[in-house]
Amino acid sequence: MRWLATTTFYLKSLFTKRKLEAQMAEEIRAHVELATEANVAAGMSPTDARHAALREFGNVASIQERTRDEHGWLWLEHLRRDLRQGWRMIRKTPGTSTVVVISLAIAIGVNAVVFSWMRGLVFRPLPGVPQASELLLVEPRSDSGSYPGASWPEYLDLQDRLTALEGLLAYRMVPLNFGLPGHEERTYAQLVSGNYFQTLGLRPALGRFFHPEESVQPGAAPVVVLSHDFWQNHFAGDAGVIGQEVRLNERPCTIIGIAPEGFRGTFLGLTYDLWLPATMAPVLLASADELERRDLRGYSLLARPRPGEAAAARVQLAGAMRDLAVAHPETNTGMQADLLPFWRAPRGAGRLLLGGLSALQGMMVLVLFVICANAANLLLARATSRRREIGVRLALGARPRQIFTQVLVESLLLGLLATIIGFALAWWGTDALRAVPLPSGFPFKIDTRLEWEGLAFTSALGLGCTLAFGLLPAVQAARIDAQLLVRVARGAAGQSRVHRLLVALEVALALLVLVTASLSMRSFLETRQSDPGFKVSGVLLGAFDLAGTGSDRTAGLQNMDELLRRLKASPGVTAAAIASWVPLDFHAMPAAGFKVDGRASGEGDMDRALSYAVTPGYFLVMGLPLVAGHDFAGLLAPDAQPQAIVNEEFARHYFGSAPALGHKLVGKKLAYEIVGVVRNSLYETFGEHVQPMVYLSYRDRYVSYGQIHVRVQDPAAKLAPNLGRMVREINPAITLYDVRTLSEHVDKNLFFRRIPARMFAFLGPLVLLLAAVGIYAVVAYAVAQRTAEIGIRLALGASGGQVAAGIVRENLRVVWLGLVPAWLLAVVVMLHMRGGVLNATVLLGVPALIVLMATVASWLPARRAAKVDPMIALRTE
Amino acid sequence: MGTEKEKSDLLQGTLDLLILKALQAEPMHGFGLAQRLKQMSAEVFQVEMGSLYPALVRLEKQGWIKGEWGVSDANRKARYYSVTAAGRKQFEEEKAQWSLLSGTINAMLKAT
Repeated sequence: MRWLATTTFYLKSLFTKRKLEAQMAEEIRAHVELATEANVAAGMSPTDARHAALREFGNVASIQERTRDEHGWLWLEHLRRDLRQGWRMIRKTPGTSTVVVISLAIAIGVNAVVFSWMRGLVFRPLPGVPQASELLLVEPRSDSGSYPGASWPEYLDLQDRLTALEGLLAYRMVPLNFGLPGHEERTYAQLVSGNYFQTLGLRPALGRFFHPEESVQPGAAPVVVLSHDFWQNHFAGDAGVIGQEVRLNERPCTIIGIAPEGFRGTFLGLTYDLWLPATMAPVLLASADELERRDLRGYSLLARPRPGEAAAARVQLAGAMRDLAVAHPETNTGMQADLLPFWRAPRGAGRLLLGGLSALQGMMVLVLFVICANAANLLLARATSRRREIGVRLALGARPRQIFTQVLVESLLLGLLATIIGFALAWWGTDALRAVPLPSGFPFKIDTRLEWEGLAFTSALGLGCTLAFGLLPAVQAARIDAQLLVRVARGAAGQSRVHRLLVALEVALALLVLVTASLSMRSFLETRQSDPGFKVSGVLLGAFDLAGTGSDRTAGLQNMDELLRRLKASPGVTAAAIASWVPLDFHAMPAAGFKVDGRASGEGDMDRALSYAVTPGYFLVMGLPLVAGHDFAGLLAPDAQPQAIVNEEFARHYFGSAPALGHKLVGKKLAYEIVGVVRNSLYETFGEHVQPMVYLSYRDRYVSYGQIHVRVQDPAAKLAPNLGRMVREINPAITLYDVRTLSEHVDKNLFFRRIPARMFAFLGPLVLLLAAVGIYAVVAYAVAQRTAEIGIRLALGASGGQVAAGIVRENLRVVWLGLVPAWLLAVVVMLHMRGGVLNATVLLGVPALIVLMATVASWLPARRAAKVDPMIALRTE
Repeated sequence: MGTEKEKSDLLQGTLDLLILKALQAEPMHGFGLAQRLKQMSAEVFQVEMGSLYPALVRLEKQGWIKGEWGVSDANRKARYYSVTAAGRKQFEEEKAQWSLLSGTINAMLKAT
């Protein structure tokens, strides 16, 4: 019941503020009068009696104030007053306030942007899917720890065994030619199990999804579901498309439904246009037996466990994989399986991005620390310059707690402003990212919208920062002793220690940020300029797929051979070839298993090396010289000994200094003779270690798809628009898609390094500037405090130069204090990060830059102080 | 400034108890209360107005005392405070607590 009385009291106070105020004044007046009367009764003169009564009562204003404190409405009143006062202070020192707000806003903004990217990847990897966080990937894991994916028969087995799952679905990505009358284009589709949409919990925007029986009989159900975007872009959202026939890889298919808006398919970071039953694979693609083969691990499996049965599913999965290993030793020996959250998908763009983004987020948090330290320093300097004002207020009866909250409210105001601007920046920043031209020919897209999580994150950051930089000045201000004010500038020693610590901290953080930023910039520039081993410029690429044109291996090889012959004869073309893979691609390069001369070198029964198929002339196009042996035999050369060409690293690894030519690589079906050794180049990514590599010939290892490589005389980009036409003129059945230059392709690989590099390029100088501002503010403040001392020294005959040099020296000592430990840390990090390689330019350049900047930042105020007239300086106190 | 605050903090609990005690007999105004407290303590306590008035507001806020305007013997307008029923109950509780506390501390101080 007490709370009721209290609440009533508060409410009454709130609404009768003026009345209470008058009542209090009246009560005090009555008190004094009663006391006066008592004194008069005791024999004093009326005047003396009144004075005595007032003296005895004490400081009326202060007592009123403290009585008022007990009324409930006071905190509100205080807040209003503190806010007004804070705003006044912010406007009175526009320079400091602007630096604090803008730097903080930028830091909060970039952190929020990076966070929104992370969130898009980690928290919302499956846009449009309800309860996506419940979904788990089922990933078969080989004994070497890699995740090769699942085969279709394996999927069917697991689906039967895992009863703890509400549903298990399978999918794999295929590029398909999508044909409307008079128009054909490349699209990206997912081949999916019949329960795909149902298990994901999706409802069609239009029409229907697959029936379970539509994914049983191979080729029985030529039906397709379109993505909402694709439907909008290609059919203008016409509801009449349901039931319409389209051609996919030249096969008729019926549109049965439209996926809901916002659903992009189930692959981290990518967007799909179409979904088809997996049982259409034998019809649409040349791989007629992929639904029976257990060694084709092309599928990803996604499970929705029944509520609370995730652990049971794990147990069932382990048991099922054990049984599969017994039943199918040739494909499943040593195979186990893991349940992984979707964002940890072992394949795809996400993994690449996530690593880079985590590093970036770490750096951005460091930047935020620098900026907070800087803000604390600036505010501390400002609060200290207000010691006199605060002292006066304390002497007039203000309590330390009031001073504390008031200074803190000021910081909160700054923080609030910064958070609002930072949020606006982040909003703009995520928009800007979406506007960045993305790698062409790749359905890459991340959901980066700032939603409430972003807002919450940004606000939390803003509040955290404000407390971080606002508490120190507030505590300092509240600790000021009014008594000390009479004495000259004492008590400053403790404060300058805090200042120095902050400067040292700021310098240390700035060094770390700058070192990392310049390393990241350098490695980005290095990779841009570094020689990948092959000649990047002057090569045009175009992808094609003969699957679905009805051509078998023989016809396919004939088509390719003719295409290459006539391309080479075209004007401006110096060389042409086909390869099944382009190095430095987004995805990991395929690998092949083999035994050298029939013997395995490791513990497994086969060795593995990166491998893809090429046509003769490929090394000429790529500018990769053969260091031994010769090129592959012609595509149409009679089947003889299958051939392989290895790189120098392969030869060194397996044969040392002995010649590699003539050795046999025994694969699952064929034995390849090594006929050539080619120079090493980069295969998967910039900065990789040299890897063993095996090239096979299309003749021996035929696939129906490939990338045409054409080396041209003119700048490659000029010819790019014509390549598709040239190919069509030679063979109308071949549709080229994703035509680009090799350098564009390579740039795509650099895409995810470019975003962090750009952020560092922008933030590095900013951090340096902020550290300079911080040091300048501290020195300027310290010098102002010591004006009298400087005046005395000048009066005693010290030269202005000596005084200034002394001040600079003193400050540089503080700078070194922060610099040295941070530098050592940077060396350790660099040794760890770059595999023991130290970068002298960065390790010497960055500290030199910081020392230079610190010297300038302390020299400017020091020189101004040294120019002071001693007489004026002495009179200031 | 800091030391004064500590002292009033220390006295706060006891001051509330003493005010409740003083008001048991009859309603009183602020000045009268101050005189009465001084008298009760045989002039040992000098109650500060800066503690007394906030304490009165605090007690009123809790609903333990009630303030009303009245007229003094000398025909002067003043605010009279009286103890409510809840205040009496609170007083008994606090008194019991205080006896326990002071008794215990005394016993401890006397122990050798």
